[in-house]
Amino acid sequence: MTTYLVRRVLQTFVVILGVTLLSFFALFLAGDPTYLYVSERATTEEVAATRAKLGFDRPIHEQYGRYLVGLVTFDLGNSLRSRTPAFELVLERMPATLELTLFAILFATLLAIPIGILSATRRGTPLDGGIMLFAMFGQSMPSFWLGIMLILFVGLGLRWLPISGHVPVLEPLLSGDLPKALANLPDALRHLILPGVTLGVFSLARNARLVRSSMLEVLSQDYVTTAKAKGLSRFTVVMRHAFRNSLIPFVTIIGLEFGFLLSGVVVTETVFSWPGVGRLVFNAINQRDIPVVQAAVVMFSLLFVLLNLAVDVIYTQLDPRIRLS
Amino acid sequence: MRKSIRAGWISAALLLILLVSSACTAVPAAAPAASEAAAEESSAEPARLVVAQSVDVQGLEPSNVNSRAESNIFQHMYATLFEITASGAIVPYLAESYTVSESGMEMTFKLREGLTCHDGEPLTAEDVAYTFQRAADDANGFTGNTAGFVLDAIQYQDARVESDLEVTIVMGRYSSPALGLISEAYIHCKDSYSAMSLEDAAANPIGSGPYRFVEWVKDDYVLLEKTPDFTLREVAYDEIQWKVIPEASTRTAELIAGNVDIITNVPPDQHEAINNSGNAGVTGVAGTRRMYVGFNQRAMFDDSEGGQAIKNTAVRVALQYAVDVPTICKTLLAFECERASSMVNPPNNNTNLVAYPYDPAKAEELLDAAGYPRKEDGTRFDITFMAGRGRYLNDVAVVQALAQYLTDVGLNVDLQVMDWGSEFVPALRAHEVGPLYFVGTGGGTWSAVYDMSDLSAPTAATNYTEWNNAEWFELWDQLSDARDPESEKVITDKMLEVMYNDPPWLFLYFQPDFYGIAGDVNWQPRRDEIVDLTTASPQ
Repeated sequence: MTTYLVRRVLQTFVVILGVTLLSFFALFLAGDPTYLYVSERATTEEVAATRAKLGFDRPIHEQYGRYLVGLVTFDLGNSLRSRTPAFELVLERMPATLELTLFAILFATLLAIPIGILSATRRGTPLDGGIMLFAMFGQSMPSFWLGIMLILFVGLGLRWLPISGHVPVLEPLLSGDLPKALANLPDALRHLILPGVTLGVFSLARNARLVRSSMLEVLSQDYVTTAKAKGLSRFTVVMRHAFRNSLIPFVTIIGLEFGFLLSGVVVTETVFSWPGVGRLVFNAINQRDIPVVQAAVVMFSLLFVLLNLAVDVIYTQLDPRIRLS
Repeated sequence: MRKSIRAGWISAALLLILLVSSACTAVPAAAPAASEAAAEESSAEPARLVVAQSVDVQGLEPSNVNSRAESNIFQHMYATLFEITASGAIVPYLAESYTVSESGMEMTFKLREGLTCHDGEPLTAEDVAYTFQRAADDANGFTGNTAGFVLDAIQYQDARVESDLEVTIVMGRYSSPALGLISEAYIHCKDSYSAMSLEDAAANPIGSGPYRFVEWVKDDYVLLEKTPDFTLREVAYDEIQWKVIPEASTRTAELIAGNVDIITNVPPDQHEAINNSGNAGVTGVAGTRRMYVGFNQRAMFDDSEGGQAIKNTAVRVALQYAVDVPTICKTLLAFECERASSMVNPPNNNTNLVAYPYDPAKAEELLDAAGYPRKEDGTRFDITFMAGRGRYLNDVAVVQALAQYLTDVGLNVDLQVMDWGSEFVPALRAHEVGPLYFVGTGGGTWSAVYDMSDLSAPTAATNYTEWNNAEWFELWDQLSDARDPESEKVITDKMLEVMYNDPPWLFLYFQPDFYGIAGDVNWQPRRDEIVDLTTASPQ
């Protein structure tokens, strides 16, 4: 296990290096960023002066080299726009994004399991058909459309929930202000529901289908037939014997799910005016604020790789036949 | 065991239902109570105006303001020496008067007495000089409007303190728009700013204007409160909250729901919903941004039919008649506009010039006469038309309509719509878009010369067409000798006539700006995109 973990951590560095390299050059492929930092009336000389101020006049490999040196020393540079450390900007917004993604994962996971099981155990019934129809809709709806519909009907029409905005919970919690975090919790939940549902619906639909198909496969195994033949109740057969084994493919997808949801937060955060990393990165890409984009890329890559590592470790607990080596 | 598993599932499901239902029901239960409490305490609570814009500030450094959304907030925190009014007049603000040296290269401003910054320090000539010197200091690396545009435009040389209340700005040459340009610099106090690092300054604004900084929650809102001892403005609201809501339909929903008072950049398709809501209405103004199709006359397009054709003045005049601008405004921009007759915003334009009418028959006649008759396939010549996507109001629809109008008079148009930031802007700045391109450049209501400075030289950065009319540039040189508005007006009117007859642009319209305004707020938007809330008041 230790050897495996050491090897995976080393692989993490390679992955992050590759991701930063790709994103760094991709931003430069999208044109000279200097033009976004000068007045539309700027002369050629003014553009050149600004290019030098921002450091874009240096060869690209030199710029990347400087960035890597900064990465090793945990100095990812200052945002070109706000002049504040890029990594701090990302960290400031990370709690809001984590709140949203965790809510969406919980929503998608906690509902997907019972829905998937219900659908599998009622296979071929109208209930199963209805659930699969919902799953198809859930996977087909673009999140920006769903978000706007929820705003119009639930937020504006019914006035049940806030239309946009964010009330922090993780941020005061992480800074040690537990009373504030607890006081904010009810309002934070109200603000979380619409964006969380918008972000999580696709995953809910996909996970429900996955749980259903996995459960159906397990239910057709000989040991399940044996359990039934022994006279065990339907609930015991499903929950004690079939459920755990049907979870293995589901756990795989949960690890990837986090990365998927992080990529989806850009749209959701924009629609619901949620002050998270997704919006920060989206704006930074538009403004070619390269240090901020790179800081976010490093942060996301690290989270994604570590979560997948955690999933691999959980595998061994779920299925004793799997051994990491 | 079996029972505990079942109980666990039931508990989890109940907990989830409880959380969701309690969150959902919290609003109707709490809202009446909150509103009753608000009504009872309304006399004690500060009057707050909530404004929603699409983008956040990038920082709070007054020398690094890069966008209109940012300057909207900064102008409430920082005062300027003079200010530009909604009608385009330039009137005293922190300064009570100014004088210009005989050479025209030095402007001396006399400050009012008793001014203070938000840190309580007296605001003197030293602070004004420091503001300009700090912005000009390359070591600070500022790229905002003051450092990146104003100082270059006036050819800033130095700022000199003459006395406690007098400061002189030294420029490289005389320029009639200098006063208006200097009026864009946000004045800040030396004591506080010289004691702060650049990072601290970008987070802790200490201003000089009618509102002072309270809080910035990044990507969420900026909160300002009234400066108690500021005497140069009477303001009706105690607080202004600038909310960031990037998505237009979300801004609209928040306005209709009564959660915000003013929203900017309302798309035409949402006007009806707001106007029918009963809570708010949409107000549109013809902005100052000049929208046009440029005729790029660079030699790089000489090898194309279209590139050759638009070098002919008669062709450029003919195409003015081919486009129905009022219909484009009405159908695509939801605005009744008048077609522009020049590049200058009213009231500084040449009022003798009448905008070209829509007359496709005349366009065809003039194209025939210019030597470009329809060929056997029905077309006259091929031409490429480039545009960026997502920068201007309904830009893609507008360029498609324009391309169709040009096609109708026989041009074989190859419309190329590109990504604005990554493709179009770099090519535009390099003067490599064309031969036809669609763009809008910012203008003002306060100076014809400012609007015309796009074409200050054949190779000027903003002369994307590289138009080189000798008479125009001779007259441009004469402008530096005109030291009074009347003689300047004679020259600018003449220049606009030259441009009208030898057009480098296909004149279109001044882009309208739409604002959603709550029914209980009294506020009139300005033409120049500046959101000035010092004029807002409760209904």
